[in-house]
Amino acid sequence: MNSTSQLDLHPGAESLNAFAEQALGTPEREQILAHLAGCGRCRQVIFLAHHAAADAEAPVRVPADRPATQPGAWFWNWRFAWVPAAALAASLALVVTFHSRQTTPTPEMAKVAPLNEAPAPIPRGRTSAVAVHRPVPAAKSAAGSGEFATRRRPSEELKQEPALSAALPAEPGTFTASTEESRAVIPLSVESDKQQVTAQFQPEPAVTAGQQVRQMRSGALSAGANATKVLQKSMTSETYAAHAIHPAARASAGPRMQQQSSPSASFDIIAQEQLEGSSAPRKANPPKLPSGLAAVSRATAQHLVLEIDLAGALFLSSDSGEHWSQVARQWTGRAVEVRAKTSLSGNTAPAEKFELENDAGAIWVSADGKTWAAQ
Amino acid sequence: MGITPSQSVEASAAASISAMPEPIHDALVEELWRESGATAYKLERDQFIEILERITAAQNFGLPPETTVSRRQQASFFRGLRLADLVLARACANGHQGAWEHFLAIYRQPLTRAAIAITGSETLGRDLADQLYAELYGLTTRDGVRRSPLDSYKGRGSLMGWLRTTLAQRHVDHHRRTRRELPLDDPADSYELPAAVHEPQKPEAELLLLGKAIEEALRQLASEERFLLVAYYLDERTLLEIAPLLHVHEATVSRKLRRVTGGLRKQVIKNLQALGLSKPAAQEALGADPRDLNLNLKKILQISSPDAFQEKAAT
Repeated sequence: MNSTSQLDLHPGAESLNAFAEQALGTPEREQILAHLAGCGRCRQVIFLAHHAAADAEAPVRVPADRPATQPGAWFWNWRFAWVPAAALAASLALVVTFHSRQTTPTPEMAKVAPLNEAPAPIPRGRTSAVAVHRPVPAAKSAAGSGEFATRRRPSEELKQEPALSAALPAEPGTFTASTEESRAVIPLSVESDKQQVTAQFQPEPAVTAGQQVRQMRSGALSAGANATKVLQKSMTSETYAAHAIHPAARASAGPRMQQQSSPSASFDIIAQEQLEGSSAPRKANPPKLPSGLAAVSRATAQHLVLEIDLAGALFLSSDSGEHWSQVARQWTGRAVEVRAKTSLSGNTAPAEKFELENDAGAIWVSADGKTWAAQ
Repeated sequence: MGITPSQSVEASAAASISAMPEPIHDALVEELWRESGATAYKLERDQFIEILERITAAQNFGLPPETTVSRRQQASFFRGLRLADLVLARACANGHQGAWEHFLAIYRQPLTRAAIAITGSETLGRDLADQLYAELYGLTTRDGVRRSPLDSYKGRGSLMGWLRTTLAQRHVDHHRRTRRELPLDDPADSYELPAAVHEPQKPEAELLLLGKAIEEALRQLASEERFLLVAYYLDERTLLEIAPLLHVHEATVSRKLRRVTGGLRKQVIKNLQALGLSKPAAQEALGADPRDLNLNLKKILQISSPDAFQEKAAT
């Protein structure tokens, strides 16, 4: 091989680039390679040029090397993710289904409904515990009370309360003039509420009763508690009437009652009507007896109304309280209470409709309210 | 065809045109002229033929000199040219405004990026690119004639590759010109073995024989094998850098290197045996300290045919 050192002569950019791009024929390629083997300058040039080419082509080469996107490629790219995704979706569906079943607030609403029809006997001593300390989850209770509040707005509650009263003795006065039959219908509630009534007339509970009524109207309490409070409210109204009869007891409760209603004479009726939710016309125009005194006891049977005023005089109205006439005294002592003998269904007994009790506890009965006979 | 460094490329090309063995076929010229898009730069057909004739005269269709070229070989050679790039380069060199606008739109940004990649500095890269732009535009004049390096582009390989290589040449030449002002970090000097500071453990005669055997073995290597050895062991290029230049995979480069070094060792032993050493002595001689050898690998590896290249390094 005739070899000569050519340190001063170099292949041009054309040849070096053609070598790098494989554009040379074999003879020229061999010449360039032979030169490159001995020429550091040209090796440096060719490596630098290639480095620059690789740097420039780097961003372009990536998409060129990637295979063309084919229809359905997205499915195969995600094929390993489908299994956990499907399992997760199924778990979510199960959780949502069971959660929605468990959070349906029908049990709370079901406890309110029976009270409208008939007051069920409540076991002694379990009333408040069952009503207040019911083991309901907080979120669930909140949801239930929320739904309860939406279903029982204050205006609707005002409409519903007379219905509740009608399920019990129809008129407020019938509480005070309730017969033995009515007492027999709710014996446990009366007896159990005697304890509660005693508790109600402790210094604090008397006010607590009003608060509970307001809480009931706001729907904050649960439905179970609501039912119990309705019963308590009914018994409390009866007790108010009893206190109106017993001056000593009324005197003890008077200051607290006067906090709610200043005219003590009209307190009984007003308070009774407020708690019983009596009709609006009666709230607006309390009945005025011919004596000018307030009534302390009242009994109603169909269109007949009997009332006893503070002086113990008995008055009869045969047109639902529009016109009154005083009944002649046929009993001994002072009449303190008059009652209508009604059943739970509201039917008045045909023979003897009314009972009258004097301050000695003796009973007189009457069929028309005018003629009384000792029992 | 031998060209001395003082002989200009234009002169040698002009001398070769008259020696063209066979004119280019008219149908082929017509086809190439239409494909090149020369009309966009108002390049006439005669001008286009002149460009092709210069290329063939300088390169003889990529074949060894004085080789007769058939029409088929002609067509194959011309169809392998980047005619569009070639026409653009010539139009730019001729100062065609539309060609320059097209050139700047396509190559300005890539060229700046390439210059930055080559220099490793944005500032130096932009300077280098701007300098090359000035040269390409023909701001340099010689004998009152506006000259552009784009005239030397012959369409073998892409114009962008040519521009990158030109940038690399400018950068390396500038570095080599100014290396005496810089610390000793030139890679060309790094593979000079340090002088031996200890007494040679082998007899002088044995070391001389070893040097001769190695030199002979290296000379017998093919060009590609020498290039591999130099690039890998002296320049310390990686397999990843070498492989694309040879258009093979890195693993192929690695296998070739193992084969070359193994063959070189065997050849050295053979050469030592041919020089009179026994085989055990030859194998023992290979364990000599390289620093004891008086070998100029740089000179040994610079084996090239005298008429291979025509371009002198820029100074």
